[in-house]
Amino acid sequence: MIGETLRLKVAAVADIAPGLRHVRLVAADGGKLPPAAAGAHVQLVLAGATRTHRNAYSLVSRPGARDAWEIIVRRVPTSRGGSAYVHESLQAGDVLEAGWPGNLFAPVRTARRQLMIAGGIGITPFLSYLAEFAFSGVEHALHVCCRESERHAFDPWLADRPHVAWHWDADGHRLDIPALLAAQPMGTHLYVCGPAAMNDEVLAAAAAAGWPDTHVHCEHFGSALSGGEAFRAFLARSGIEVDVAEDESLLDAIERVGVKAPCLCRGGACGVCVTPLLEGEAEHRDHVLSAEERAAGRLIMPCVSRARAGRLVLDL
Amino acid sequence: MTIAFKPDETFRGDYTYRNSDAAVLRFPFPFPEDRYMYSVNIEPHVRSGPSDVFLRPFDVDEHYIAECRDKAITLERDPGRCQVLPHMMLAQWDTLELLMESLSADYPALFSLVKEGDDFGSRWTWTNRPLGIEQRFIFGDPATLPCEPFEYITRQAQGDFAICDQRDNNLYMDAGMVTSQADWSLEFDVGMSFMEWHGPVPLAHQTGVFERALKYLLMLRLGQPVRRLNWTMTINPRLDTSPESFPEWGPDRASVTPDNAGRKVHLRVELQTLWRLPRSNAILFPIRCYLASLEDLARVPKWGARLHRVLSTLPPELVEYKGLTRYLPAALEWLARHDDGRELPVGTESGITTL
Amino acid sequence: MMHSDIKSRPVYQALAPDLAGSRHLLVVEGETLVAGRLDELAGLFAPVQATLHTWLAGAATPVAGLGRLWQLESAADVVDALACASRGYGVGDRLYVQGTEPFLWSVATAAAVVGFGEKQLRLHHAGSLRRRVWCTHCHGMTEGVTTSIVACGGCGRHLLVRDHFSRRLGAFMGVMVDAEAPGEVPAIEEVFA
Repeated sequence: MIGETLRLKVAAVADIAPGLRHVRLVAADGGKLPPAAAGAHVQLVLAGATRTHRNAYSLVSRPGARDAWEIIVRRVPTSRGGSAYVHESLQAGDVLEAGWPGNLFAPVRTARRQLMIAGGIGITPFLSYLAEFAFSGVEHALHVCCRESERHAFDPWLADRPHVAWHWDADGHRLDIPALLAAQPMGTHLYVCGPAAMNDEVLAAAAAAGWPDTHVHCEHFGSALSGGEAFRAFLARSGIEVDVAEDESLLDAIERVGVKAPCLCRGGACGVCVTPLLEGEAEHRDHVLSAEERAAGRLIMPCVSRARAGRLVLDL
Repeated sequence: MTIAFKPDETFRGDYTYRNSDAAVLRFPFPFPEDRYMYSVNIEPHVRSGPSDVFLRPFDVDEHYIAECRDKAITLERDPGRCQVLPHMMLAQWDTLELLMESLSADYPALFSLVKEGDDFGSRWTWTNRPLGIEQRFIFGDPATLPCEPFEYITRQAQGDFAICDQRDNNLYMDAGMVTSQADWSLEFDVGMSFMEWHGPVPLAHQTGVFERALKYLLMLRLGQPVRRLNWTMTINPRLDTSPESFPEWGPDRASVTPDNAGRKVHLRVELQTLWRLPRSNAILFPIRCYLASLEDLARVPKWGARLHRVLSTLPPELVEYKGLTRYLPAALEWLARHDDGRELPVGTESGITTL
Repeated sequence: MMHSDIKSRPVYQALAPDLAGSRHLLVVEGETLVAGRLDELAGLFAPVQATLHTWLAGAATPVAGLGRLWQLESAADVVDALACASRGYGVGDRLYVQGTEPFLWSVATAAAVVGFGEKQLRLHHAGSLRRRVWCTHCHGMTEGVTTSIVACGGCGRHLLVRDHFSRRLGAFMGVMVDAEAPGEVPAIEEVFA
């Protein structure tokens, strides 16, 4: 079980709700895929017409599946283009390059009880969690906040899963987060995955209720807030000037000009792409650098962070 | 490839363990330079390297059968050498799967694994020809094996195994099968965090080695195992140098003389590999132990001379920590006869093809 | 308080309420109370008095201002009481313990069993520095050790008391000191008074 990249073939694509596309992937050589854990993601290389996108998607297939992986992709109007590519261009039979599965959101297995809160498409990592918890028998509950119209989109993954509650924006259906947190017994771990505003609300409620941060876990899903003002970067070691467009990340731009930069999550969570910043002021959007490191202004995570103003000079 | 096993050799009592010429030549000699100091000497565990022991992710050699027997003896005397905390069941199955798949793929003449499926609940049949085992079981159901899956498979593998659970940005040693360790106690250390179980190691903490190593390991990727070599010395070819049995083997350290050092003193090299496990997200830490006497090593001129230089310049804290104090002078006197002082090329390769 | 380069040695904290916590449980080993310490604790915990429970283990004269107060006999009673009371505590609550090292870890281990996480716990080492020593050879515990070398209460071997500490066992490691040369026992020093 050693390898770095995989070739995957799209076995099927299907729209399970407006704007939600399900993709089934198998090994292109007909062999077996490596097993992956609950909470794992896979990074796909999506070769679009104008540029290549590398997007990470949670695996919603059952943990340990080796015959096929499944992902569900929401079409994001303001996306970097990866989700648009999946919705518009991806077809059965296409072959994609992918990394081996990574996992930045594994459940904590010492937990007495697993409490999950999902917002919309943020349900995806929890589909594999549910399969694991059903197998291990640990006490658990999933609360999903979504549009009422979408609540049945995930039914195929939720058959025989009794511990799921649905919430939507209507009187009598909203999730009372403080009440939910107050009712949790000792040893509960909380996982949240959803839009940034919902994540922040849950994290703040947990902090207010005294939950230690060791018991609160957040997948900064779709923190792919990678677009913004266009800017220019200079890669000092390579001697290359790069224009970073509004809709691409600094990392995407670096890769586009052929400079290899180490990376893993592409969402500002893992820290692998940390790069020395020689000049310029960064707008930090990652979840890795400490307040001191940000203030010092010597490091940047090019997968999500951009220039605050003017030009950045990187040691690359 | 055929391996001529030595099923009857012993690692205790009459110590009949010996290395064949081929085993000496493939020994993973750990010193590329004339001086040694701790470093984060971690590299990808690829199927190549300066010794044949790197050719397969889990190396099986001529001592396989005898080592598994010695492990069984140690476990019978002290079952606490295998410890698994309750939340580690997924990691147990991960370990079993990784070892069975790797061994059967790399040594098809010795091991085979037949699966009716890959998921939990599938029927698997495991055959271990050297140990004469055929086991049908259901993957994911511990009741279908004679013992828990981690113990089951690591009883059939050379070396020690620890599993580190990853949580709170830390690693916790929450399972282990430890019967050939260099003087650390699993019973004492089980459940400890990364910094805690490395607590007693001198010098390295101050230089930040462990902080860097931990950060690196937290990011370890599935499919990209890494390795490093570690080493110490052992008197007699003894695998069980645990603190538990120290009263048995401690006196051997006082038995070394310049005349018998070549036979008695062994360099003990650990090939440590680190694997991200797929289902549990834990890290498997196999510690494969290789033993060679000073006599074995001196048959490779570069190694005999280099070992002499490394040991004669070792910082006193490491001499103490590795327990060499009492017999190091005798070992150095013996090794000095094999060091003519000429410059040695950098690298660990033996530089020769026959002895 | 002994300091050591060995990283397994826990670092203890002064006690102060974590205001982020929702309820607070303070457990104090009576024999570690110097004059005025309970009043001092009452002062420190005044901001959370409304949500404070205090358990005093062993003889101690209670004072006011420690929230709801219970008196227990020993560490064993604290362990039992934690097991019974755990249903009433939640993820937002905090546990503070003052005591000797064996007391701290008896309570901490019992707290972990009922689900208290490490960050819900604050431990304050007070009183004697004597150690609980775990014999590597027979796995027996020897309590109240004050010397650098101690005869194991289980197997009688002379154990060198190392600084390597196991939170799970609440004990320091003891390794036979004269294994290499039986009978060669270095001078025994009084070091953990």
